[in-house]
Amino acid sequence: MDVILQMGVSGALMGLVYALVAYGFQLTFATSKSINFGQGELVMVSAFICLSLLDIGLPYWAMVPFGLLAGAMLGLAVERVAVRLALEQKSEGWILMTIIVGLFLFSAAENIWGRDDRPFPTPIPTEPLHVLGIDVTPVELSVAIGVLALMGLIEVFKRKTLWGKAFEAVSADRDSAELMGISAKATIMLSYGFSGMVAAMAGILVSPITTVGPTMGAALVLKAFSVAVVAGLESGFGVVVVGLFLGALESLASFYIGSGWREAPGLVLLILALAVRPNGLFGRARIRKV
Amino acid sequence: MKKHLIAMLLLGCAAQVYAADTIKIAITGPFSGGSAPMGVSMRDGAKLAVNEINAAGGILVGGKKMKIEVVERDDEADNARGALIAQELASMDGLSGVIGTANTGVVIAGDKYLQEKGVTKIITPAAGSASMTQWVKAGVPELSIFRFSADDGLQAQMVVKEAIKRGYTKVAVFHDTTNYGVSGRDDLLNQIKLQGNKLQVVTTEKFKIGDKDMTAQLLKAKTGGAQAILIWAIGPEMAAVANDMEKLGMRLPLIGGWTLCMSNFIDNAGKNGNGAIMPQTFIEDPITPRARKFIDAYHKAYHVERMPSPMSAAQGYDALLIFAAAVKQAQSTDTHRIKEALEDLKEPVKGVIADWKHPYAKWNPASEDTHEAFRVQNVVMGMVKDGQVVFANEADKQRLIKQDK
Repeated sequence: MDVILQMGVSGALMGLVYALVAYGFQLTFATSKSINFGQGELVMVSAFICLSLLDIGLPYWAMVPFGLLAGAMLGLAVERVAVRLALEQKSEGWILMTIIVGLFLFSAAENIWGRDDRPFPTPIPTEPLHVLGIDVTPVELSVAIGVLALMGLIEVFKRKTLWGKAFEAVSADRDSAELMGISAKATIMLSYGFSGMVAAMAGILVSPITTVGPTMGAALVLKAFSVAVVAGLESGFGVVVVGLFLGALESLASFYIGSGWREAPGLVLLILALAVRPNGLFGRARIRKV
Repeated sequence: MKKHLIAMLLLGCAAQVYAADTIKIAITGPFSGGSAPMGVSMRDGAKLAVNEINAAGGILVGGKKMKIEVVERDDEADNARGALIAQELASMDGLSGVIGTANTGVVIAGDKYLQEKGVTKIITPAAGSASMTQWVKAGVPELSIFRFSADDGLQAQMVVKEAIKRGYTKVAVFHDTTNYGVSGRDDLLNQIKLQGNKLQVVTTEKFKIGDKDMTAQLLKAKTGGAQAILIWAIGPEMAAVANDMEKLGMRLPLIGGWTLCMSNFIDNAGKNGNGAIMPQTFIEDPITPRARKFIDAYHKAYHVERMPSPMSAAQGYDALLIFAAAVKQAQSTDTHRIKEALEDLKEPVKGVIADWKHPYAKWNPASEDTHEAFRVQNVVMGMVKDGQVVFANEADKQRLIKQDK
């Protein structure tokens, strides 16, 4: 029993990071119906930037806001370079363009920071705490707190502020929103900025556990994508639930079926979800009246 | 016109005479990228030996003192690049031989070109078994490739021996899913059988390159009652294993291949890496006069306080000395004659790792051991301690001190 609980909890905490990256997909999809396929590379580059900030002597807590800012700037850069033109032309060019930007960031990171995985220092203790017969480290708990706090803040922003209302309006119906005088362009920029910030947060949170390396993004992004698709591309609450579930499922599968089968249940889940509920478990089938 | 021709001919002759005045040796390896610590240390160790030989006037070949000239090539641990470099070296004029290569993949991609032309090469520090067993499989009658490294089979033997010696009876075997990890697992399981099945393997667990969450694998080991983990993988994933053990409050010793001494394990695991045990050919600890001399010379020449990869440095140094001894015995810079001399070295070579007495023998297509220099007695067990590798067993240290006397 302890083993199930231990596996479930450690897996679920990692699953929250998938959820955060998936949330980054949702943010941009809501406003612009486009997704940054290089989101994983944003996580990685932001993590490296944060590491460099620590290297030049910035204290950890001072680094966090700068890191988030850097992530937001990267998000805006992706929007400007890879997405805006394609959306203006109503083409699907952003798919290829965001992949290309991702590849570019990957190569740049390899050249600037090297190909090695590097440890990411954190002031949060890594000694495990014993809670209800299982071991969790404060670092893992910080992941949960960080993910939920940032997602909560963005959701509050969307519901309570004027800018947030514009965000929701563009998500609901871009054309009507523009007729009401809301700038869809600015809203999309905002969503990409948020999305970049979310990626940076994921990098800051996950790096002390996984180390920082150029390939760290690729491992995360595929799982985050599964989470986003299974949960549906609309529900922030959905990604958290599916993220927790998928993370726990992976851990349990690798324990009970064998360490080579880690990814299998997640993929089966993905196929099932697509077959049964193509809009995602928490998505709504949208009927657009013309 | 005629004058020009004569001048050119004369120039050509002069150039040739000049070329014949030096012994041209190529040193190849990863001098940049993730494997650079191995490549750079190997190269710098070898160049230390070159400088010593040249400072003494060179090697006496055919009544004439000849100096060593080094050609460096960076393969970036990239198989394709390694193959190109091997092709270039295979057709290079007046090349006496090649020393180097840190990655087994690069060895496999490139060495066939050297073997085709019969260019003599000493592989160091690449350790993968396949580098040499490929020639046994091909059944070549003659081989110009030698190895100067403790191969994986030998390392696995020592790892299993160490686990038995430390009194463990139940172990977990961990490995990554690369060729290196899978063949390491096979070597380990095979050695456990060969050494009398004294270890019970409670579970065999694998992980992929890039995996960071080892909780499931570790809990399998824990619930199985493992007393130690025998591991065959590379730095970052082994560090993840060490770090997750800390998280789960487990304290199982890690015993594994020599990759446990690399900085990407030691740095990423931090204090959780302490106590990891691995086979080593050289430990940066001045326990004997020759070790002290080598370590001091390296630190002084390259302005470092620690070698990036001490065993690569020592192997590079000794490999070059062995090659030089073969040149001296062959009395020739011809790579084929040097190969024959290497297969039957008459005089012992006093290296920093050991005195090498007849390290190689005539190639026997049935066994790669004829072209492998390292035997069990040349390898010791090292242990990670606060970011450094120290002797794991006092007995090894005393044995080396005694051998030196």
